[in-house]
Amino acid sequence: MAMLLAKKNLRALLRGAMDRKYRVVGPVREHGIVLFAEMSDPGALCLDELNTQNSIKEFFFPKTEKLFTYSLGKNDAAVADDFAPPRTVLIGGRACDARSLVALDRLFGWDYKDKFYFARREATCVITLACDRFDEACFCTSLGFGPRAAEGSDILLVPVEGDEYAVEAVTDKGRALIAEVKDVFTEGTPGAEKVAYPEKKFDLAAVKPWLERNFEHPIWKEEFLSCLGCGTCTYQCPMCHCFDIVDEGDIHGGARCKNWDSCQFALFTLHTSGHNPRPAQAARWRQRLRHKFVYYADKFGTEACVGCGRCIRNCPVCLSILDKLVLIGREAAAAPAQPAGAQP
Amino acid sequence: MASDNIYLPYLMKVDGVRDETRDVRTLRLKFARDEDAAQFSFKAGQFGEYSVFGAGECTFCIANPPTRAGFIECTFRKAGRVTKALRDLEVGDTAGFRGPYGNVFPIESWYGKSVLFIAGGIALPPMRCVIWNCLDLRDKFKDITVVYGARTVGDLVYKDELREWSERSDMKLIQTVDPGGETPDWRGQIGFVPTVLEKAAPASADTIAVVCGPPIMLKFTFPVLDRLGFARASVYTTMENRMKCGVGKCGRCNVGGVYICKEGPVFTAEQVARMPAEY
Repeated sequence: MAMLLAKKNLRALLRGAMDRKYRVVGPVREHGIVLFAEMSDPGALCLDELNTQNSIKEFFFPKTEKLFTYSLGKNDAAVADDFAPPRTVLIGGRACDARSLVALDRLFGWDYKDKFYFARREATCVITLACDRFDEACFCTSLGFGPRAAEGSDILLVPVEGDEYAVEAVTDKGRALIAEVKDVFTEGTPGAEKVAYPEKKFDLAAVKPWLERNFEHPIWKEEFLSCLGCGTCTYQCPMCHCFDIVDEGDIHGGARCKNWDSCQFALFTLHTSGHNPRPAQAARWRQRLRHKFVYYADKFGTEACVGCGRCIRNCPVCLSILDKLVLIGREAAAAPAQPAGAQP
Repeated sequence: MASDNIYLPYLMKVDGVRDETRDVRTLRLKFARDEDAAQFSFKAGQFGEYSVFGAGECTFCIANPPTRAGFIECTFRKAGRVTKALRDLEVGDTAGFRGPYGNVFPIESWYGKSVLFIAGGIALPPMRCVIWNCLDLRDKFKDITVVYGARTVGDLVYKDELREWSERSDMKLIQTVDPGGETPDWRGQIGFVPTVLEKAAPASADTIAVVCGPPIMLKFTFPVLDRLGFARASVYTTMENRMKCGVGKCGRCNVGGVYICKEGPVFTAEQVARMPAEY
């Protein structure tokens, strides 16, 4: 026997969570675009699209996060931080989204612990939907996992025959939520899984060594000339985590905020002197690829890419990281690394 | 900063203001709370995030040596929003400070050796902390030499300290300004730092070199040190890249896979040579 959830009961699950004072976040249609957003009515849940336009990262690492407030008087000054994230159920992310959380945990917990991220992580129960379809931008399988991977989820819902989900309670947090709203689940024997796997498109093991060897290579200019530097790819990416710290307020009072930033902007690395270590867009794209597939992998043991395809679907000039990874895979196969000792 | 909020600064009071050049100023900051002052410590080479509430944060090294503690100093050029706001602070005003961050100059491992400092322009402040640290422990070192250059005579910072160093008999100071930057009464050298350094040809035997300057100066200084016979593992620098968080999160300061804020800012020339040319 296994736990099942009828698809028609998804909204009852959300209603149950709302009744228990959870904030519920899920995909909703706004102005024709399907986005993760806070829901006030479970009826707004929209599972029409394979993937939302935004990623779930903003519910853990918001576009703007107040780090503390300050007030300055004539003879006194105070900083205050009353951060307490709401208990949240986040439904409708995919296996790629959930995996991004596990990878981001490593960055935000590296040495110094970013309490804002982890408080939101602890307060959020992630209910992931395994994919019953994919599109040409999906490449989770090329990154060594797949559309029903449970990593990062608290509850995984796998679509099965009979308009149902097989329910996998992954963590204690997931089990606790299930216990709270247990009426919506049933027991039974699940039908066959309806999970769709995109085909593997490149050899991940070849990408990192190629990037390490080819800091200088013609493809950086040839392939990335069309990039506008708009930063859309980094904003939609569930893994991109670069941020800026700015003050909003005046000399009497205000807040210091952490805002999303993007390595695709020229200003990102510009020195005060005018010197820019990454002066051209090609260098910024190289940074994006190397950060995701070399630096992050070296530091945190996993790529900073989960193959969700958002950067591909939303790029205004159709620059596809997947195409470039396939190209790099081909280049690597055509010019394999020299065995050690063979180099001059 | 007993809080678990890694972005929360110490509250500081401006304790002193000193103009170094027409646009470079040094601020001395003291901890507003005694308990913060009591538990704060740092080592030469570390940096921090200095802030003015309402304007934002800026990254500077700590410019005073740990041998003279109880306060922190930063020296900065007025260039943007935050540095303008810092410049507008007066004695008694409130500022913020997060830190200390980053690694340190391994000064203890230099004991018994000579130390050669090479700095250009506004890069003297990160070096000043180390220079005073060494001078305050003078008997631990053999020769101490400072080669310092700026664009013009007016751009030389810490003029009082330069005078003091030039008058000390237990160290050598070589000052230079770029051609055209001299004044009629200028008694120092004229020429760029790498050229002046090569001409002065300090001995490399049993000597540690510490270099700090803009990327272009490093590029031309390292080869000179090579020619003078310095091993790259004995050449140190402190690198600066645009930085926001200081704690290895914001993804901005990396050169290749190296986070300046975490693995740096102090590197040997050997380590720098292994980095991609992206600094």
